[in-house]
Amino acid sequence: MRRILQNPLALTGLCLIGVILLLALLAPWIAPYDPDAIDVKHILLAPSGQHWMGTDGLGRDVWSRMLFGGRVSLLVGLVAVGISTVIGVILGALAGYYRGWVDTVIMRLVDIMLSIPSFFLILAVIAFLSPSITNVMIVIGLTSWMSVTRLVRAEFLSLTQREFVMASTALGAQDWRIIFKHCLPNSMTPVLVSVVLGIASAVLLESGLSFLGLGVQPPQASWGNILTDGKEYIQFAWWLSLYPGLAILITVLGYNLLGEGLRDVFDPRSNTR
Amino acid sequence: MTNRLSSEYSLCKKPLAAPSQRWVAYLLCVGLVACSTDTPDHSAKFFDQSYPAQPGGTLISAMPSDPSSMIGMVAGESASLAIGSYLFNSLLKYDQNLDLAGELAESWQVADDKKTITFKLKPDLQWADGKPLTSADILFTWQLITDENTHSPYASDYQLVTKAEAPDARTFIVHYSQPFAPALESWASLQVLPKHKLAGQDIRTTSFAQKPLGSHYYQLKEWRHGEYIKLEKNPKSVLGPANIDHLIERIIPDPAAQFLELMADNIDSMSMDPITYARIIPSRPALQARLNQFKELGNSYTYLGFNLKRKPFDDLRVRKAINYAIDKQEIIDGVYLGLGITIASPYKPGTRWSNPDLIPYTFDPAKAKQFLAEAGFEDTNGDGVVDRDGKKLSFEILTNLGNKQREKTAVIIQRRLKEVGIETHIRTLEWASLLTNFIKPGDFDAVVMGWGLGLDPDQYNIWHSSQQKPGQFNFIGYNNPAVDKLLEQGRLEFDPEKRMQIYHEFAKVLYEDSPLVYLSAGYGLTAIHKRVQGIMNPVPPAGVSYDSQKWYIPQPLRRTQIQAE
Repeated sequence: MRRILQNPLALTGLCLIGVILLLALLAPWIAPYDPDAIDVKHILLAPSGQHWMGTDGLGRDVWSRMLFGGRVSLLVGLVAVGISTVIGVILGALAGYYRGWVDTVIMRLVDIMLSIPSFFLILAVIAFLSPSITNVMIVIGLTSWMSVTRLVRAEFLSLTQREFVMASTALGAQDWRIIFKHCLPNSMTPVLVSVVLGIASAVLLESGLSFLGLGVQPPQASWGNILTDGKEYIQFAWWLSLYPGLAILITVLGYNLLGEGLRDVFDPRSNTR
Repeated sequence: MTNRLSSEYSLCKKPLAAPSQRWVAYLLCVGLVACSTDTPDHSAKFFDQSYPAQPGGTLISAMPSDPSSMIGMVAGESASLAIGSYLFNSLLKYDQNLDLAGELAESWQVADDKKTITFKLKPDLQWADGKPLTSADILFTWQLITDENTHSPYASDYQLVTKAEAPDARTFIVHYSQPFAPALESWASLQVLPKHKLAGQDIRTTSFAQKPLGSHYYQLKEWRHGEYIKLEKNPKSVLGPANIDHLIERIIPDPAAQFLELMADNIDSMSMDPITYARIIPSRPALQARLNQFKELGNSYTYLGFNLKRKPFDDLRVRKAINYAIDKQEIIDGVYLGLGITIASPYKPGTRWSNPDLIPYTFDPAKAKQFLAEAGFEDTNGDGVVDRDGKKLSFEILTNLGNKQREKTAVIIQRRLKEVGIETHIRTLEWASLLTNFIKPGDFDAVVMGWGLGLDPDQYNIWHSSQQKPGQFNFIGYNNPAVDKLLEQGRLEFDPEKRMQIYHEFAKVLYEDSPLVYLSAGYGLTAIHKRVQGIMNPVPPAGVSYDSQKWYIPQPLRRTQIQAE
């Protein structure tokens, strides 16, 4: 932990994410307005003391919508990556531990999934189901587990050759005990890095889907759909595009910095140590 | 695509003008620059001088989609019909006050039994290739449109003709089995096609769809799919030659891209959305100074329609409650920036057919709650949503994806309905999917959509109970014998005064029945560069583009001329 705090990349990333998370968590208490309150008499107001980030095309307070939108974006990121990590770890562990035909089947599945452009797969699936937060989270989760699988499998391949694993095998430990007690805890480091980076890409994916109208549905705010609404007014209402863009940028940057930092900290070959 | 066009026709004053402005637009996208992007142009005064009418010049407009074919009567798309209206004539037309006048027809007569109409054609009509245009061409077009194999979406009106005949080259007679008042409008919208080019051909595959030959003011010169359509003056036009030599319709799907082209002076005219009209152009004085802007009430309206076959929309009190719960003026102000008006009948306000006695449903949440209570809806479990027999009043509103105005309308409706205890979910769907998967099978609760109307008051296909089969227009399932009867009467009556009474009564029944919530009638907004002169001012009831063949671009204001300076 101390090493993480000493790493400038990780520390910057942590701070950025911390601030955004805090704002999103506290949204109901710090948002000055109801994020869905329509006020057609005050549409497209520029940022001012009253409305810090101005108002949108329906007179809704952008700052309040940004706060609540942040909750959606971060929730989607966390849940989607949670799903993909669980799938990825289980499949990776099975493939790496049992090898043989199990490995072949799982890794071919990974190859197949990797060969499909995932954004278009997600688009197609969402268009087929109906767009909603739950569906977006599940679909992103189900289409982004492959890298975790590969990482965990690689770790398991080397771990199963190590003495302590061989020893427990020799002692007659059951498979599940070896997998969960001995191998998994030792393969978590790369997974942690990939989880953090995965959140960044999930946040981006959600924004992209909402931007295309296939993510979070109105009136619920998300950074992606605030950005789409702003597109129409970009010629004169810059605040509708700038702030959600910045929020996405900062969040994704934060997670990427943290991920890179963690990799540096944990990687024995890293030169920043 | 744009580059090719500009270089070919030297549309830009300065070759760099367009790219540099595009860069500024990109910078704006990331919010770094917020200044005016207009390059200093000729002063507004330069374009304010007026000149006498003169032939020549090129008018460049933008249209959002490429037609699939030039035979609009078969393709059934607005893009095809729009281009077709430059190429083909009709028997009749509407004059500037929307009264019927002859186009190919010199005169027409409705027989005493109202079942036969006799058209007398003008003398010496000819196609652009010099071949004579006779009643045989009109008969041929009628046969083509009504042929089952043609699958024309407009066939139904023409199929009511029991017999059509062309006894001599200038006479065309149609017989109906019973009086059919919308007939005259149907003959004003039939684009007459040349028999000598099309006889014996398969209309679905003919090359004529790509290389048409007409008789109207213009003929097709060049068509680059997805890029532009270039029309050239037809010197043999049956109504006399137009002023402007060339019309170029550039195909630019994105309104924002159209606007950038307007700003860069690469197009002369475009239709605008309310935001462009009310906010963006006023913030650019240099651009505003070189544009004429036209605002006219469109012949269309937006509505919230219910699936009347589903509960609880079969209950008049629920429909009325929803109608009273929605603030239409709020939608007009918020979504259309005030560029719309509330309506109380399915006709354009101010026209003969619109019933002036009807007043749009007001915004009255108290009344809405009262109607809900009368219908038995109360919030028994305190969750903020009213319920009846244990089922809460909750439904889904569908609208088409990408239509920001309708999406915003739905959001405002959702908010207002929530206040009276009605829960709604909004779902936006791609247009084709909305039509095929939800509207056609009747699988929806409510929709935010719009109707574009013809000039004849007949709305049989929208409201008559017989028009509910999948794919037909009465998809909300409206079924009212009184309305059916009025619609049938309206079709039999030729006298405008009596027809007016019928349609006023029809609108009144609809108003009482509230099968849908009229949201607003919007304004059509058009910007035309000041170099285009001779535009009728004030705008006649027939619209800004009425008599556009009389528009002209004076020599000193033409693009090539500016370039030479």
